Amino acid sequence: MADLTCKLGPLTLKNPVMTASGTFGYGCEYHQYYDISRLGAVVVKGIRMEPSPGNPTPRVAEVTGGMLNAIGLQGPGVDAFLHGEHYLPFLRSVGATTIVNIWGKTMPEYGEVAERLDAESDGIAALEINISCPNVKAGGVAFGTDLELAHQVVSLVRSKTKLPLITKLSPNVTRIADFARAAVDAGSDMVSLINTIPGMSIDIETRKPRIANRTGGFSGPALKPIAVRMVWDVAQAVKAPIIGMGGIMNGDDAIEFFLAGASAVAVGTANFIDPYAAPRVIEGIDAYLDRHGIKHIAEIVGALEA
Amino acid sequence: MTNGEIIENSRLKGDYFQVRFHAPEICRKARAGQFVHVRIDHRGDRILRRPFSIQDCEGDALGIVYKIVGHGTKRLSELEPGAVCDLMGPLGVGFSEPAPGVTPVLVAGGYGAAATFMLTKQIPQRGIFLLGARGEGDVLLTEAYEKAGYDVRVATNDGSRGYRGFVTGLVEQLLEERPEERFFFYGCGPHPMLMALAKLLRAKGRPGELSIDHLMCCGVGACFACVVKVKADTPEGWTYARACTDGPVFNLDSVYVE
Repeated sequence: MADLTCKLGPLTLKNPVMTASGTFGYGCEYHQYYDISRLGAVVVKGIRMEPSPGNPTPRVAEVTGGMLNAIGLQGPGVDAFLHGEHYLPFLRSVGATTIVNIWGKTMPEYGEVAERLDAESDGIAALEINISCPNVKAGGVAFGTDLELAHQVVSLVRSKTKLPLITKLSPNVTRIADFARAAVDAGSDMVSLINTIPGMSIDIETRKPRIANRTGGFSGPALKPIAVRMVWDVAQAVKAPIIGMGGIMNGDDAIEFFLAGASAVAVGTANFIDPYAAPRVIEGIDAYLDRHGIKHIAEIVGALEA
Repeated sequence: MTNGEIIENSRLKGDYFQVRFHAPEICRKARAGQFVHVRIDHRGDRILRRPFSIQDCEGDALGIVYKIVGHGTKRLSELEPGAVCDLMGPLGVGFSEPAPGVTPVLVAGGYGAAATFMLTKQIPQRGIFLLGARGEGDVLLTEAYEKAGYDVRVATNDGSRGYRGFVTGLVEQLLEERPEERFFFYGCGPHPMLMALAKLLRAKGRPGELSIDHLMCCGVGACFACVVKVKADTPEGWTYARACTDGPVFNLDSVYVE
């Protein structure tokens, strides 16, 4: 049993495995399967000031090696999240390490959500700024594909909270390392990547897109090589910790991300297929470390031989 | 989650199949209207589970009726007895039971007939089964419902069997025929059929429940893919509820009809 304790700047986790925002609901959905406090962190679905209905249906389509989704950040809004029994109070009651993914339709809204969560931060370990959702018309990726806006939104959130800050980066840019640098320069303690890649799937009989939003974010195992490459790119550019994600299905997949330079990983689409995916990834990482006689997870971070 | 070994996987007719899994734990808990989430292929490039209504539980045998509509169901149809699928379930909210003295009316469209079948075992009183299908080739399970003592009536769009028209036509006939009788309606089928049924039952002031099926992903309420519109105190008059955990069975009163 290796030491899996994971230090991410100001944030220390019991292990380096979290859930990717949007793939784990608000935690309670999976607690019936296992004790979610075993996870390094639960990253909840995106929260903004107001409740959001999300996109019309159909919202998902299966494709080769993964899926497209355009859920559109359906959510309860910050008040319900802070006080509703199925949200933060539940996570607190089971002792889960909770990271809140935040977004807004406008720049000021990002600041408002951060301020609200900072004021009632009991049970919140960190905030993850979502500037990379490809499925909402306003906000989301609009801030994640413009260097100047990315810097501004992270600076604003930084000014509103003392909580550890993660910025979730979009892969839909020419050089993702530039955005990592901008986020860190603006005060983000670390970065997480990658979000989904916009894709499209067409029903050739009806000639219609298979999801109502027409395009959706591609995720799943086929995404992994792209994600690993981007983590490696970012690891060359910034010293801040990296949370790597994109197509992780098992412990061995996660190890690739660590070797490329990630200090922690997130499990996403795999949760939809196997509710036990995240704890299995923890077990898989542990088995790899034991097999190689490695005592601490940190020893393999960025240990790529190239 | 449990490994379900296939006991039998046979063609009912055309593209319709019935598969039976050895799944004692699921069978012990399953209620009519609930579903199982099946991982059909562990190795292929299609990764998501497929949800299926539980059609029947006989002893330890869990029955599902499916139609080949895509990659997953095609692959499922090729599996032989002895093959094993990873099953999650029973999941979701099932149908409730009618009060004594109330006649159950099961209204199904196509292979929606599978989702209502367990009611024939769960409910003590015998009822009426109304089935709508495109044509004779899509008429399923009528003999099983007859054997269960149900009054079976069929509507086909092309008139190849029974009443020519939609299943809602059979509902109207029934209400004209027995206007004083207390009925409770159970519906499962394609979305347009369910919406037409909801409108009709509301207009006639009749109670019921609908199983609203939608393209599903996680099955546990986490991904918000399978949402359906339910009435709510919002500016729009509706909100999205998750078919997998808030449903798939919804009371007629809460269903939002556009």
